[in-house]
Amino acid sequence: MALTEMALTQRLVAPWAEWEKRYTEGRRLLEAGTYALTEGAIAAGCRVFAGYPITPATDIAEYMSKRLPQVDGYYVQAEDELAGMHMCAGASLGGLKAMTATSGPGYTLMHDAYGWAITNEIPLVVVDAMRVGPISGITGAPGQGEFYVARYCTHGGNIETIVLSPNSVQESFWLTIDAFNLAERFRTVVTILTDQVISDMFEDLFLPRDYAELADVVVPRRHNLAMPFYPLNSASIDVPPNVVGLGTGVCVSAYTHTEEGYDIEEMEAQWAQTYRLVNKIRHHRDQILRYEAVGLEDAEVVAVAYGATSRTVKTGVMEARRRGVKAGFLRLISLWPFPDDLFARDTRYLVCELNYDGQLVREVMRAAPDKGKVHFMGKSAELHTVVEVATALEGVARRGMIPELPYIWTEVA
Amino acid sequence: MPLFKPSKKQIAQNAGKWEVVLSEEMCKACGFCLQICPVDVFAWRKVANRLGWFPMYVAHEENCIGCMLCFQICPDFCINVAPKEAETSVAAG
Amino acid sequence: MNKLAAKYLRPSQIPTKACHGCGIGMIENWLLQAIDEVGLRQEDVVFGTGIGCVGRQTFATWGGDNFGATHGRALAVATGLKIAQPDKKYLIVVGDGDAAAIGTSHLVHAARRNLGVTVICEDNMGYESTGGQFSPTTPAGYVTNSSPYGMVEPSFDPCDVVKAAGATFVAETTATQWHQTVKVVKKALENDGFSFVHVRFPCNENFGAYALGTRDTLKNLEWIWEHTQGRTVDGKETDFTWQTGIKHDASNSRPEFSKILRAMNERVRAETAEKGSGNGKH
Repeated sequence: MALTEMALTQRLVAPWAEWEKRYTEGRRLLEAGTYALTEGAIAAGCRVFAGYPITPATDIAEYMSKRLPQVDGYYVQAEDELAGMHMCAGASLGGLKAMTATSGPGYTLMHDAYGWAITNEIPLVVVDAMRVGPISGITGAPGQGEFYVARYCTHGGNIETIVLSPNSVQESFWLTIDAFNLAERFRTVVTILTDQVISDMFEDLFLPRDYAELADVVVPRRHNLAMPFYPLNSASIDVPPNVVGLGTGVCVSAYTHTEEGYDIEEMEAQWAQTYRLVNKIRHHRDQILRYEAVGLEDAEVVAVAYGATSRTVKTGVMEARRRGVKAGFLRLISLWPFPDDLFARDTRYLVCELNYDGQLVREVMRAAPDKGKVHFMGKSAELHTVVEVATALEGVARRGMIPELPYIWTEVA
Repeated sequence: MPLFKPSKKQIAQNAGKWEVVLSEEMCKACGFCLQICPVDVFAWRKVANRLGWFPMYVAHEENCIGCMLCFQICPDFCINVAPKEAETSVAAG
Repeated sequence: MNKLAAKYLRPSQIPTKACHGCGIGMIENWLLQAIDEVGLRQEDVVFGTGIGCVGRQTFATWGGDNFGATHGRALAVATGLKIAQPDKKYLIVVGDGDAAAIGTSHLVHAARRNLGVTVICEDNMGYESTGGQFSPTTPAGYVTNSSPYGMVEPSFDPCDVVKAAGATFVAETTATQWHQTVKVVKKALENDGFSFVHVRFPCNENFGAYALGTRDTLKNLEWIWEHTQGRTVDGKETDFTWQTGIKHDASNSRPEFSKILRAMNERVRAETAEKGSGNGKH
């Protein structure tokens, strides 16, 4: 039975729920997630890509090398990922929207650049197409091991981050535009956590006929031409980004800084800077929240997943419903700031993720009213199968535990 | 050949035609200007500045021959040396 | 104060955080002279610096737009900036740690690409900001905080590295060569390509204390003077002499990186206009 026939409520909270209805004239292609990501970036106005090839993000670099010169943009193949992200930060500072893309081993090299871009409120989009790890792991297998790394993407604390995750080729297109918009509005680095499956798979992709028509939904790059360059002790968003090269006299610092941007060693400055970096995101979480929910109202167990995992988990939920289990499905699209409010219901949760050490499950345990009712279903190198998920949901709903399944990890501590 | 010449001399030509300014509040008392000046323009203050250094000051501007060595060697942008404006104006024409 | 400082620098940031007698301020004075004599205004020039003494003491002193990047990555940021704002003059003022140690990869690739920036590598032959550990440019045998038995690692000259990588202007001076430095920086600024100026300068507090045995500012500057001219102040030969002067001048002989990319874009867009974009095909 299809979802509609099951009469389950469905909810998608994301800007593209409305965009897809608005833009209906265009082309229909069979394309990969990396292609959709690239087109989404170009549509959002990205004009610089600097990165280093790495499976499964290499195709983004190749597509960018072809597309950017066509739109008077610039592709730079950096000497390493650290250089790549710094180059993107420099280009964004100079007034051009920029993006880089990598996988886990390159992502860990970007921490320094993340810190610099976040502290200096430079809009950027970073794509991490996760795969099994640690390190090179299995080159062609998906993973979800950077859930926490994406939140704690740099050292020193005192920051908040925005992380989004698509689960289809079509969604990769719209979500990338959304990521650029959030980067502009919040003057920060937005991370797109995708994975090897969503990156490499081929699916139906609709592209609007003319990207210029998206002007209504794309947040354009504006320039901040006057002080304060960094409005400290302020959580406001929609502040135009600073720009180097237009003679504003801005300082872009590696240190805790003043409103003008030069370094200062006062505790009060650290407070003021942190107030802004953390609260500009926390105070506007409602603008960042994106998720998909199916059948939550009467659910006795809610399956939680994101990215590629969510594809088979959603089908698993439907299969569980057919078996008579009141299962619900919650797909996180915005991973950070973590949507605590989505876990307010006192019910059982089955957290399915592509890692064995348990990452998303820890956040759900923290947010849910009873962590004893949060169950971990970890798998690595392969997606959860529909049967595995339905069986686990049955077990949790009927007996309060996941039955033993081969290669499924259920312990958290 | 030493960098800082131990003996200073008085050179007659060009002396006294230069305006020497030293921002004492910025001086960190490295001593370079005093040592490199061939004609003893500078001297040490006896009172510390706000930074905590006993700064140089322009003790004998009239000795200055405009060699600009002090301007070049000061690490803290304290010194400016410029020709004095002419005391009598030259008629245009 | 110095009239060029009044014209170009940020008043709240001077006096700088540099120690007394530090060469960083002297060299910045010469950079201002070069900028002024070439006829550049404050809004024409962007300063980029890094971490360490040279980075920190230079950062924010420039009154116009400037950035202080993470350690060693100033050139990576400059690459992105130059693409977005190609008409500005970029002065990347970094130390020996930033350029010749942690950031050498980016230095080499920026030189290879012939990125149109001027790198001023101010070299105090050690990591002085962290107390005086040795660096890849510390002279052989010298005692530093992390070479208490004498520096045994071979050192190198970053000038050789960038020249081999394709830099189109390479020069070296020291902190007792003010006129030469101004002249060389002017030439460097006039090269539309990768210019590298290497300036050795004294550190009284750390290198002076541990390697030379004195924090006396005059003696430290004299040590630089001695190794510039090859003779000590009392006429003896020095243990080594720096080779100063213009080491390589192929100014304006190779296309500059941001121009290469723009030329390619024009070519691609001309071809696309003729043949169609091929969007949807790959």
